[in-house]
Amino acid sequence: MTSAAAVSDALHARVRAMIGAFERAAPMPESFDGLAVDLARFQARHVAGYARLCGARGVEVERMARASDAPAVPTDAFKLARVFAFDDAQAAVTFHTSGTTLGARGAHAMRRVTTYDAAALAFGRAMLAGDLEAPVSILVIGPSEQEAPDSSLGHMCSLFARALAPAEPAERTFFVRGGALDVEGLRARVADLPPRRPVVVLATSFALVHLLDALGGDVLPLPPRSRVMQTGGFKGRSREIAADLLRRAVASAFAVDERAVVGEYGMTELSSQFWESTLVDDRRPHGIYLEPPWARVVPVDGETLRAVLPGEVGIARIEDLANVDSAFAILTQDRVRRRDGGFELLGRAPGAPPRGCSISIDEMLSRAPGAP
Amino acid sequence: MLDLHRRDALPRSGGALSRGALERLADVRRLVSAAGRVYADRARLAPAIARSTGLTPEGVELGFASLEREATDTELEALVARAGHAERVHVILSANVFVAPLRALAVARAAAPRVTVRPSPRDPALTRALVEATGEDAVALAEDRDVAAIDAGELHVYGSDETIATIRADVGPGVVVRGHGSGLGLAVVSGGADVESAAEAIAGDVVAFDQRGCLSPRVVLVEGDEGRGAALARTLHDRLAAWSRRVPRGALTDDERVDAVRWRGALAFAGSLWSGPDHEVALAPRAAPLAIPPAGRHVLVSMVPRLDGVAPAIAAVARFVVAVGTDDVARVSAFVPPHARLSALGRMQRPPLDGPVDRRAV
Repeated sequence: MTSAAAVSDALHARVRAMIGAFERAAPMPESFDGLAVDLARFQARHVAGYARLCGARGVEVERMARASDAPAVPTDAFKLARVFAFDDAQAAVTFHTSGTTLGARGAHAMRRVTTYDAAALAFGRAMLAGDLEAPVSILVIGPSEQEAPDSSLGHMCSLFARALAPAEPAERTFFVRGGALDVEGLRARVADLPPRRPVVVLATSFALVHLLDALGGDVLPLPPRSRVMQTGGFKGRSREIAADLLRRAVASAFAVDERAVVGEYGMTELSSQFWESTLVDDRRPHGIYLEPPWARVVPVDGETLRAVLPGEVGIARIEDLANVDSAFAILTQDRVRRRDGGFELLGRAPGAPPRGCSISIDEMLSRAPGAP
Repeated sequence: MLDLHRRDALPRSGGALSRGALERLADVRRLVSAAGRVYADRARLAPAIARSTGLTPEGVELGFASLEREATDTELEALVARAGHAERVHVILSANVFVAPLRALAVARAAAPRVTVRPSPRDPALTRALVEATGEDAVALAEDRDVAAIDAGELHVYGSDETIATIRADVGPGVVVRGHGSGLGLAVVSGGADVESAAEAIAGDVVAFDQRGCLSPRVVLVEGDEGRGAALARTLHDRLAAWSRRVPRGALTDDERVDAVRWRGALAFAGSLWSGPDHEVALAPRAAPLAIPPAGRHVLVSMVPRLDGVAPAIAAVARFVVAVGTDDVARVSAFVPPHARLSALGRMQRPPLDGPVDRRAV
């Protein structure tokens, strides 16, 4: 009898084969649906909650034929229970969501981080730095992985720094320390950058707002062909700025073209990320995110959970083949719409407005500590 | 039922009420009498209320049972004593269950000789009926009341925090705004409680107003192990199913159904779920944070090893808790927020008419 670990290893290998094919621009070695169904069956066997969810939705695991047959796990489940096919002791890493809304933080354990790393790097490199010859300089307006070991974003930024840039001490790469933005350190680092080596800046939207406020209109000019990744919302951690205004301000602050400011969409509950493609396709506007071949974003009706018609707005059901040991399909609360071969992010779905004095979940969340 | 409210130390000063307070007391008594007449005429109002609230006709009839048609002198004296004094009170109703206008008017009437009320635009029937039944010039409808034009007196606002904040920002500096926000109800079942009777009582509290009131329990904390929690959840599921045959749930909105699907999926994954045509009961995994269900007859059952585990279990939502129902008021009172109204299971929807439902600072 094949052990769960052996099955998991084989599934990881199949996902990495897809990632490798993408990097070589080779045909995919197998179909998305085929691997998705095998993942869903594996998870239904080894993640007790997923078996219960399949049962509650009336899904017979052995009769699944397509990715869309597999129920998606609501992201809330990551706050309530282990979404992991193995014992905690077998987790190589556990990432946690940043918010502590209503006392709960989501946790995403991974038995193998190599698949996460391969997926993040392959698509991230293609979308952010595919036109650049290594090496580049990496500046992270965020904490290092050592300082925030349970942050998937911190892990990804550190991964990019290791893979794309020559080794540097952490203080020359990461510019949030002890929760504080080191503006002077960043100024000094920018002044000391090799003049012909492009820079990749990695930052959250709220960190960029803090940086802009701290710069007070000053410019930190980056070398030619530099670019900036911005990700995430504001989560009450800074004042909010409209996406286009923030992009314009960031481009001005670093003296880069607006098209070189690229949005990334990722979640702790996922192993893959989605990117705006303005750096790799001159025709694409900002606001359209692309998926790698091993992940799909499907707008679904919030009640029936079925895909909406093309062009309609739905809740994002994300199918991520790199989520081997947790949940290959998750149901987010983000509203999305398919467009131009990618998807638009349209913000978080508001909950039902109250029809009495019973408080809504949204109102509780909006009044949670740290909420705007 | 006053003995159930351990925090009802009535603010009476030697038993004698001032002349003004006595007048307010008489005003409130007349209002309560008017509520009795409205109740008697409820068949005429019920169709409009069913349309505006989404409740079934049976649900409207059940909701009318919570209209405070009777109140003791002690309760009303407490109401007046707590109400303070204002020359005029303007009541703005925004989000409330359909019987709530009576208490809102009573609180206003206990404070001021003149009261105007702007009904909830979505649900004006009972407010209009009450004002009409009162038949007093001192209580008047102000359906087109422009909040920004109010420059004196008190404004009592019943709605979401957002609504309250918006109105607070709009009114003039001479106006005192008292906000009554939305909230959360929960039930606590002690280890000594009979599961069958506790479940029956909780089901009644849940079904009223299809759980859209802040007195409606959405979470049940059970003292004991997982077996006891599961027994309570299963029995509550049975009782809610029986209730739904007598009082079917009304229609949920599209957004409410979406919230329910999401909550159901998360709890099907993380816990255990008992589904009926009109309700869902979920048993939470031990020690998991509370996944507060949406309104619409959705109940989360969670276990605490001992009653002193109640406070940490609800810490993240404690400030939203308006009402707690329990079989053991004496023991549970130590572990729930001091502002919460405490009552017996099955009585959560009928707090004494001694002040606002929501006792949080306003």
